[in-house]
Amino acid sequence: MSTSKHDRTHHAKKATGIGDPQCFKGEAGKAKFKVGDRVRVKDLSDVFYSRTQTYPRGAVGTVTVLVYESPAPEDEAWDNTDKSEWFYSVKFRQKDLWPDYPDLYANDTLETELSERWLEKA
Amino acid sequence: MSDKHEPAPMVNEVSDFEVLEMAVRELAIEKGLFSAEDHRRWTEYVHTLGPLPAARLVAKAWLDPAYKKLAVTDGVKASLQVGVDWINSPPTGFGTPSDYCALRVLEDTPKLKHVVVCTLCSCYPRPILGQSPEWYRTPNYRRRLVRWPRQVLAEFGLQLDPDVEIRVADSNQKTRYIVLPVRPAGTEGWTEDQLTAIVTRDCLIGVAVPKPGVTANAKRPVRPAVHPVHHSH
Repeated sequence: MSTSKHDRTHHAKKATGIGDPQCFKGEAGKAKFKVGDRVRVKDLSDVFYSRTQTYPRGAVGTVTVLVYESPAPEDEAWDNTDKSEWFYSVKFRQKDLWPDYPDLYANDTLETELSERWLEKA
Repeated sequence: MSDKHEPAPMVNEVSDFEVLEMAVRELAIEKGLFSAEDHRRWTEYVHTLGPLPAARLVAKAWLDPAYKKLAVTDGVKASLQVGVDWINSPPTGFGTPSDYCALRVLEDTPKLKHVVVCTLCSCYPRPILGQSPEWYRTPNYRRRLVRWPRQVLAEFGLQLDPDVEIRVADSNQKTRYIVLPVRPAGTEGWTEDQLTAIVTRDCLIGVAVPKPGVTANAKRPVRPAVHPVHHSH
């Protein structure tokens, strides 16, 4: 039996003692968005794997934190970890996610994380 | 055997996911990715984890403004002071395989209440809270909390004024969340140990708020189904 050419321990070697996502710090370059920016969630393909939920797609929210740099789950699921991107915590008004959300609770919000490829300037 | 015979009720002692886990585990052991002994050690380790360190983190943050600032800006670093090392803990030394090393402590105010969910699966800050409760992993909680947070919180016995902003944190990526609730009235002059005792797991998920004298999670209400399914056996 031939040995796999792929090194299954490359992630462990990179992250041990540093942490994941800390080990990807500095790999994503300049962030496209900053705290306070209004962003819209794109509706990209999720045929193979994604961690972007269906419900925020198309909705506009506000960037609250630039949380970390990491390969996007769409790539990382297949061990393609050579390209990191910025992840943003984005806050949405519940009214903008669910059209039937009661007006009485117009203050209510939801916060979730999206990688840069999923966001466009609103 | 008569035609009317009905099979005895099936006892589903092992779920499909458990069978899947066993199959993958056995393949991984056969392949040499880890040993059965490694697996036993990790399993025993995760069962030693619980919500106590997070409760202490909250109590410390209530008592020490400098520590609170550290907690909300760098949760991983603040965890070290309550004995939780996100980065160097077993099994991997770079975070547990699905929990990573990114903790955010969400600070409530009298006008802002956080509550945590993972709509995609059941991401949970296990290094600092231990295993998630069964209800946290149910589709019922996961799909309803994002859309009807007030109704779901009311089922937990937490009814909030309309002018309090409820902020649902959906942990869909690498960040894990705990809630830093508002310190309740009636706890003036309390010690760190006393305060730790009232910060229950449910307070840390955000489905309850701490109250003097309450040191256990409330029983989760079980409501009968509106349209129950009747089985013939």
